[in-house]
Amino acid sequence: MKRKFALYPGCIMSTEQYAYEISIRETLPLLDIELVDIDGFSCCGEPLKSVNQLMMLYLSARNLALAEKNKLDMFAPCAICHLALSECRYVLGSNPEMKGRINGMLAAEDLTYNGTGEIVHTVDLLHDRIGIEEIAKHVKKPLKDIKLATHYGCHAIRPKEIGRPVDSEHPMKMEAILSALGAETAEYPEKLDCCGGLLQINLDESALAKAGQKLKAVHEHGFDGLVDVCPWCHKMFDARQTKAGETVAAKLDLPVFYLTQLLGLAFGVKKEKLGLEFNLSPVDKIQIG
Amino acid sequence: MSIVDLTSMGESQAELRKEINDRLSRLQEDVSDYCYQCAKCTSGCEAHKLLELEPHKIVALLKRGLIDEMVNSDIIWTCMSCFKCRERCPQKIAPVEILFALKNMAVASGKQIPGKYSTILQSVLSMGLIQDIQEVTMRDTKTKKRGDLDLPALSKPSDPAKFQAGLMKIAVEKL
Repeated sequence: MKRKFALYPGCIMSTEQYAYEISIRETLPLLDIELVDIDGFSCCGEPLKSVNQLMMLYLSARNLALAEKNKLDMFAPCAICHLALSECRYVLGSNPEMKGRINGMLAAEDLTYNGTGEIVHTVDLLHDRIGIEEIAKHVKKPLKDIKLATHYGCHAIRPKEIGRPVDSEHPMKMEAILSALGAETAEYPEKLDCCGGLLQINLDESALAKAGQKLKAVHEHGFDGLVDVCPWCHKMFDARQTKAGETVAAKLDLPVFYLTQLLGLAFGVKKEKLGLEFNLSPVDKIQIG
Repeated sequence: MSIVDLTSMGESQAELRKEINDRLSRLQEDVSDYCYQCAKCTSGCEAHKLLELEPHKIVALLKRGLIDEMVNSDIIWTCMSCFKCRERCPQKIAPVEILFALKNMAVASGKQIPGKYSTILQSVLSMGLIQDIQEVTMRDTKTKKRGDLDLPALSKPSDPAKFQAGLMKIAVEKL
C-alpha cells in the first residue's frame, strides 16, 4: 500500500545538503512512499530557540498547520527539524492556552494548528513504517565487507520525554537497517556524542573540535565509514571534515554517507542518482556495487 | 522588519522579559525542590570538557536566584543543545531548558546576540529560512546549486508580507 507524506525539507537540506534530498527522493518511492511537495514551508525554528522559544513554537506550528491543511502526515528528514516539530506538538498538546495564542498568530496566514498530523523521521519511517523485511526484499547489491559506524544525531535521540524516533541510550534501528543492506556495524563508546552542529552559529572552532573528536574516534576504532541521518551532522562530518580534523591535529579521510545513499546503493540505484558527488569525504574509498 | 524591531521595542520587551521571568521562576521552583547536585548532567555535558560549561552549577545558581549574573555571562552560549542533561537527570530537571530561558532573557534584555544568531534571525524574518540557496562545491571541485539539479523549487513562504505579519505578532502582542 502506498503511503503518502508531505516532505518537510527544512533549511539546510534544501539549500545546501542536496545529497540527502536527492537520495531521499530517489530511494523512498522504491519502497512505495509517495512524497508530496508543499509550497510555503518555513524554518522549523529550532536554531532560533536560543533567541526566542516562542518563535520556535510558532514556526513549527505554522509548518505543521500547512501539512494539516493538505491532510498529510509529515516526513522531516532533518533531526533538528524533527525535534522542533515534535516539541511543538508536545507543548501545544498539553497547553491549550499556548495553542490558542499560537493559533491567534497563525490567523495572519489563514492557518490553524490542530495537532492531528503525524511526524516521522528517516529512521523510523524506514525501520518502523516500511520495515526491515520489506527493505531486505529490495536489496540487489548487498554492501559486503564494510564495517560502518552510525551517528543518529542528538536531536533524533533525545529528549525521550517528547517522543523520539529511536531509543535515547541504545539506538539500534540504523544498525538493523544497515545489517539488512549487508553491512557490518559495531558499537563504539562515542556513538551518542554530539557533532557540534548548532554551535557553528556562535562558537565555530569548538563545533569543529566536537566533530573532529568524534571522527577521529570512529577512524581509530577501525570503521570503514560513518553513516548519518541529519543534514547538520552530515555537514560537520562530511563537508567540514578536513577542517574538523585540523582542530584535533588529525588528517582525516573517513567516508561519510547519508543512510539513504547507502540504501540506494544496496538497491542497485546508480551512484549518480544518489548525489554521491556532493560528499566531500572520500566516499570512493569504499567500492560498492 | 529587522532584528531591531524585536529587540528594541521597549514596552513589549518588558512584557517579554516578564514572561521569561515567569518561566525561570517555574524552573527555579523545580530545581529547588528536586535538584540534589549529583552533577550527572555535568558528567555527560558535551560542552563541559571543551568549554567548561557545568550544568549542575547553572542549576545551583538558579536555585539561589542569581539570574542576572548568568544572563550576563557568555557561558550560557556554550550549550550545544545535545539534551543529554535533560535525558539523564534522575530528578527530571532539564538544565538545557534553563539555558534556553537564560539565553532568551539575554536577547530580550537587549544584550548583544553572539555569532550568527542575528544573521539567521534576519534571514528567517525576510525569507522564512535560515539561509537562501547555496552554491556548493562537489568532490570534483565543480560547483552546483539547487536550480542545477533535478529538484523541485525551494519551498518557502509564498507571501513574505503575510508571513512577516504572523511573526511580527510575536513582538507586537507583547510576548
